[in-house]
Amino acid sequence: MSAAGAPRLVVDAPADGPSTAEVPWRRLDPRLIWADALRVVLSMLPGAVALFVFDQTQGMTVMPLLALAGWGVWGALTDAVRWVTTRYRVTETHLERRTGLLVRSHRAVARELIRTVDADARLLHRVAGVRRVTIGAGQTTTALEAALTLDALSRDSAEELRQELTGAPRERAAEEPPALAAFDWRWVVHNAFGIWAMVMAAGLLWGAHFTLGVFGFDLVGWFGALRDALGLEATAAALVGGVVAMALLGAVGMSIQFLTAQAFFRLTREPGEEGGSVLVTRRGLFRTREVARDESRTRGISLSEPLLWRWLGTTDTSLITTGAFWWSEGVTILPRGPRRVARRVAAAVLGDEPLTAPLVRHPAAALRRRLAWALWATGGCGLALAPLGGRAWLVGLAVAAPVTLGLAWAGYRSLGHAVSGPWLVLRSGAMNRETSALRRKAVSGVCVRQSPLQRRLGLATVRVSTAAGNGSYAARDLAVARAVPLAVAALPEAAPFREGDGAAPARIGSGRPAP
Amino acid sequence: MALWAARGLAFSLPLVGVLAVAYAFWSASRPWTGPLLVAASVLVPLHAVVMPLWRYRVHRWESTEEAVFAAEGWIVRQWRIAPLSRIQTVDTVRGPVEQLLGLSTLVVTTASSSGAISIRGLDPGVASEAADRLAEITRRTPGDAT
Repeated sequence: MSAAGAPRLVVDAPADGPSTAEVPWRRLDPRLIWADALRVVLSMLPGAVALFVFDQTQGMTVMPLLALAGWGVWGALTDAVRWVTTRYRVTETHLERRTGLLVRSHRAVARELIRTVDADARLLHRVAGVRRVTIGAGQTTTALEAALTLDALSRDSAEELRQELTGAPRERAAEEPPALAAFDWRWVVHNAFGIWAMVMAAGLLWGAHFTLGVFGFDLVGWFGALRDALGLEATAAALVGGVVAMALLGAVGMSIQFLTAQAFFRLTREPGEEGGSVLVTRRGLFRTREVARDESRTRGISLSEPLLWRWLGTTDTSLITTGAFWWSEGVTILPRGPRRVARRVAAAVLGDEPLTAPLVRHPAAALRRRLAWALWATGGCGLALAPLGGRAWLVGLAVAAPVTLGLAWAGYRSLGHAVSGPWLVLRSGAMNRETSALRRKAVSGVCVRQSPLQRRLGLATVRVSTAAGNGSYAARDLAVARAVPLAVAALPEAAPFREGDGAAPARIGSGRPAP
Repeated sequence: MALWAARGLAFSLPLVGVLAVAYAFWSASRPWTGPLLVAASVLVPLHAVVMPLWRYRVHRWESTEEAVFAAEGWIVRQWRIAPLSRIQTVDTVRGPVEQLLGLSTLVVTTASSSGAISIRGLDPGVASEAADRLAEITRRTPGDAT
C-alpha cells in the first residue's frame, strides 16, 4: 500500500521518507457492524408492527416507516463499506487516512496543525463499545468541516490515538485529574426555559400526533374530546392555560435534553504536547462527547448573560481561542449555568482574575444615544401601525416605548471596559450582556469609529480585532478622551498616531490629488 | 474622487433603473414609485457630487516602521491601525473602474477575520511601492501573526 496506489489525493500526502513507509496502516473497529445489525432489526420493527399487528396499508402511514427501515439498512451498509475500505496511520509528521469505495481519497493532516481531538459516541457506538474520533486542524474557515473523522475506533484505540496526537502521557489517564467544574443538578433551572422551549413543545406535540396517527390514534380528536369533557370554552383563560401547558411541556423537554447532553459533565486540565496543557470536557448520557483544546491557543474568555435571566445569574461561558469558531463545540467549556461557577471557571482557566477588575463606566452621553435609538424605534412602530386606523398607533407606542426605553437603559448599564494587567476587559450588550477578557498581546488591529451622532455627543467606539473568537471585540460609546488611551493600551504601535484623536500627521491619498 | 463617484453611481443607478422600469410597466405601483423617482433624481446627483468631495477630505493613510494607519468614511468615520508585526499579506488590487482611472487599491490583511484594511484610490506606483516596502518590513519584523 504505497501512496502512489491512490488514484486521487484530496490533500497531497507528503513525499514519503524512508522512515514513514514502514509505519503500518491500521483498520477501524469491526464491532460497529454488529451493532449495525441490531439497528437494522430495530429500524424495521415499527414498520413490521404497523403492517402485521395494526394492519395499516395506506401509503401515507407506511411510507415513513419504509423510509425508517431504508435508513437503517443504508446506515449499516455505509458503515460496513467504510470499515472495509478505510485505513489510517500516524507517521512522525502526519496523520494519514485513505478511504472510499468509488471515490478513493487519501488525506494527510500535519500533526503540528492538529488542534482538537474529539471523541464522541452515539447510542449505537456505546452499545458496540466504540468511539467516533474527529480531528480538527483549525482550517474550518474555508471548509466548515473537520479535518478528518475516523468512525469508528474501539474505546482503547481512540484514547491511544488522542494521547498520541495531543501528546498526553498515558499513565496520567489512569488517575482522574481534579475537575475544574463538574455537573450539577441545579444547572437544569438555567436550561429549562427560553424561546426554544415553545418550539420544542410544538415539535413534541407534532411528533406525537404523527407517530400515534400511524397506529390509528387521533391526538387532535382526543384533545377535542378532553376539552368537551372538561366543559372548556375557547376563552382567553383557556388560551393562557394552553400556552402555560405548552411552556411546561417545553421545559420538561428542554430539561431532558439538557440532562442527556450534559450529564456527567467534567472540565479538566490535562498535560498536553511539549509541556503545554489541554482543557478537556467530557459529557453526555447516551451519546458521550469528549473534546480536548490546546491551551496555548487560548486568548481569553467571554461570559454572556441573557437579559431575561439576569436575576437568576444565568451565564454562558465560551473560550476565545484561535482555530475554533463560536458555533463549534471547542469554545463552549461550560454548559449554561450560574454566574458564580462561570466566574470561578474563567479565573481557573485564565490563571488570573481580569473579570473581577472594576470596569470604567461609559459617559451619560452613551445613554442619550441609546435613548435616541429607542425613540426612533418607538416612532417607527407607531408609524407602521398608523395605516390600521383608529387608535392602533397609540397602542403601538404604548407597547413599544417601555420595551425600547428599557432596552436602552439595559444597554447603557452594561457598557464598560477596563485594562487589567495583560488583559483587556470589554462589556456591552442589551439583550445579551457579554463580558470578554482578551489578552492584550492577541490584539492585531484597532479601529476607532464615529457616527455623526457620536461626534455630537463626544463618543467613539473602539474595536479591537484579533485572530481568535469572534474576530473583533468592541468597547462601545466611550468618551473620545478615553478612546485613544484605550486604543494605545490595546496596541502600543498605535501611539505615534494619537495626536488629535486619530487625524494624525498623514499624507493625502497618493500624496498628490487624485484625478 | 471620480472613483468614489463611479462607485456611488454603480450602486445607485441600477436602483433608479429598477424604479423607472417599475414605473413604466407596472402602473399599479405608480403612486409610490413616482415620488421615489422624483426624490432619486435630486438625491443621486447630490450624492455623486457631495460624497466624493467629503470622502476626499476625510480619507488619509500612512505607514511607519511599526504600523499602517488609514482614516476613511464620510458620514461614519473610521480610523484603523494594524501593526506590521501582525500583517499577514499585502496586496495591490485594481478593479475595472480603477484600471480605467489609473488607480490602485492597497489591501493589508491581518490574522483577524474582522476584515482587511483597504486603502482605495492610490496612484499605482505609490501603491506598489508601499506594498513592497510593507512586505519588506514585515519580513524583517519578528511576529507570530496571531
